[in-house]
Amino acid sequence: MVPSFFSSQKETVVYKLEKTRLDDFLGAIAKGREVYALERAESQYHLVRSDSWQAGKHTLGAFRQVEPLKALVFRPRELLGSLGSAALGAPIPERIVIGAKNCDVAALKIHDHVFLNTEPVDPSYKEVREKTIIVSCDCTDAREVCFCPAVKEQPYPKTGFDINLAPTDLGYVVEAGSERGKQLLKKAENLLSAADAAILKERDQNRQKISKKVCAQTEKMGLTCGADLRQAVEKSQGKKIWDDFAADCVECGACNLICCTCHCFLLADGKGKNNTASRIKQWDSCLYKNFAAVAGGANPRRHRAERLQNRFDKKFSFFPEILGSYACDGCGRCVEACTGKIDIREVLKRAVNEL
Amino acid sequence: MSCNPYMPIPAKLENVVRETANIKTFFVRPAKPLAFKAGQFIALTVPGIGEAPFTPSSAPAVSEKMEITIMRVGRVTEKLHALEPGADLAIRGPLGQPYPLEKYYGREVLIVGGGVGLAPLRALLFALLEDASKYKKIIVRYGAKTPADIVYRKAVEDGWGRKEMDVMISVDKRDAGWNGNEGVVTKILSPDKLKCNPKEGVAVVCGPPIMMKFATLELLHLGYAPENIYLSMEKNMSCGIGKCGHCRLGPYYACKDGPVFTFDRIKNLPKIWD
Repeated sequence: MVPSFFSSQKETVVYKLEKTRLDDFLGAIAKGREVYALERAESQYHLVRSDSWQAGKHTLGAFRQVEPLKALVFRPRELLGSLGSAALGAPIPERIVIGAKNCDVAALKIHDHVFLNTEPVDPSYKEVREKTIIVSCDCTDAREVCFCPAVKEQPYPKTGFDINLAPTDLGYVVEAGSERGKQLLKKAENLLSAADAAILKERDQNRQKISKKVCAQTEKMGLTCGADLRQAVEKSQGKKIWDDFAADCVECGACNLICCTCHCFLLADGKGKNNTASRIKQWDSCLYKNFAAVAGGANPRRHRAERLQNRFDKKFSFFPEILGSYACDGCGRCVEACTGKIDIREVLKRAVNEL
Repeated sequence: MSCNPYMPIPAKLENVVRETANIKTFFVRPAKPLAFKAGQFIALTVPGIGEAPFTPSSAPAVSEKMEITIMRVGRVTEKLHALEPGADLAIRGPLGQPYPLEKYYGREVLIVGGGVGLAPLRALLFALLEDASKYKKIIVRYGAKTPADIVYRKAVEDGWGRKEMDVMISVDKRDAGWNGNEGVVTKILSPDKLKCNPKEGVAVVCGPPIMMKFATLELLHLGYAPENIYLSMEKNMSCGIGKCGHCRLGPYYACKDGPVFTFDRIKNLPKIWD
């Protein structure tokens, strides 16, 4: 039985952490683990690897970092082994991610479904996932491209984290979201006190405020929060909308690679050291022309418009059908990455308007 | 399966038999017995080159070795066709869902093959013949481009030596020595050529997409129910275990939920014949 990283338990353990003790707290829970934390770079954050929490250099971040969190658990390129000896790579160390935002955490639900909860289990994903502690954090600000309320998400995590931190003027609300999160908090017990009503109220007000902000900027774009995107995308099948947006697509695949939920990959064979046959698994993009082509030459998505439509179909029809949720968490990375300046919000807006 | 589901186990190429100008049957012995059921497929690897999905064409009852009939059509099959007996291969599987044979018991089973599409159907045929008394009748209708493109020609022409089987072949284009039917395979699916009761029977189809499309339309016209028409959907099946995303067909993955689908499950999906 594979453990679920997304618990449905309502009973949570909530503490208060004084503002001045944040670095001590993170230092304590990160001790002995490989650390992935956020580092500010101008108006952005990057996810960087380190061997400890570094006060002053690392930050919890106000919004999500540039790199999708999926890259840690579903690696961009992985050597599966050489034929005949399916040896996996060296075991990976225990790790902790600090400062992950809800879009990225929620996206792991998709990857867990594909690689962990659907037999056969992907052994490398399982190992990495089990060794990665997730310390998430509420968003306190949003990027202009953020639109999570339109895809039934919100700028703070409800599930999927081991520990969540909610910054407030009265300190941090520290919440354990899993058994291992609870255990880890014991390491820093001396820094925590019971969360009082005042700080919880403050947290809830902050959450409402940031949710309103992201919702308002999404609706300013013309995309209504709560609109039925599944129906809009399903009804758009074969319509002109896809030709129009695909006219700007250059098939670079950036939207897929930067996406926090995209999980498609390629198995490719080659010859490694000593001329041994080996196999790699690496990220693939459904916008590439031959993504669905077969050896005989048949290609169900010969045209770019069909491939663009397929990307939306996978996110807003396929995953709602098989998993009950969109495979889009509103992180907006694809908006920033797109070479052709195709804005997913514009696409969804038009699909909804043409219903 | 190997401990890593993406990695194959070693296999040896024991023999190669030429069927037609661009089709050969490969006799493969996996390092460990690999049991499959009719309708399931395997992924065959040419080490260092790549992997491609094939449905074995030999009897599923035999797991120590298998025959795989392969047309030379792409990068991996090009290399396969150049191999000699003794070559190292690797194999992964079984993958996908088998034909639900228990649903065929007591019924007439019509097998419709086109070109190299007869190869996977041969494994089904062997599975049916193993238990022939369980089925009311076994009918084979096979279409090839020319007489020279007929796979397993000798066996097909004498109905695998089983008199109870009703086998008929048609070629799109005859040659000097051909006295049989001429025309696309749907020509031998007409009521006068097919003495059976479509309303109660099942039909199993495998062939190139265009042939599958017209055969399906003909079968529906004959009165076969959409849920009794079994189609092998050719999609880009890479990982074979529903993870890599390439072979998605509406709400399904061809590799995990198929590759055989009844027509009723896919009839409303866009572009199924492409």
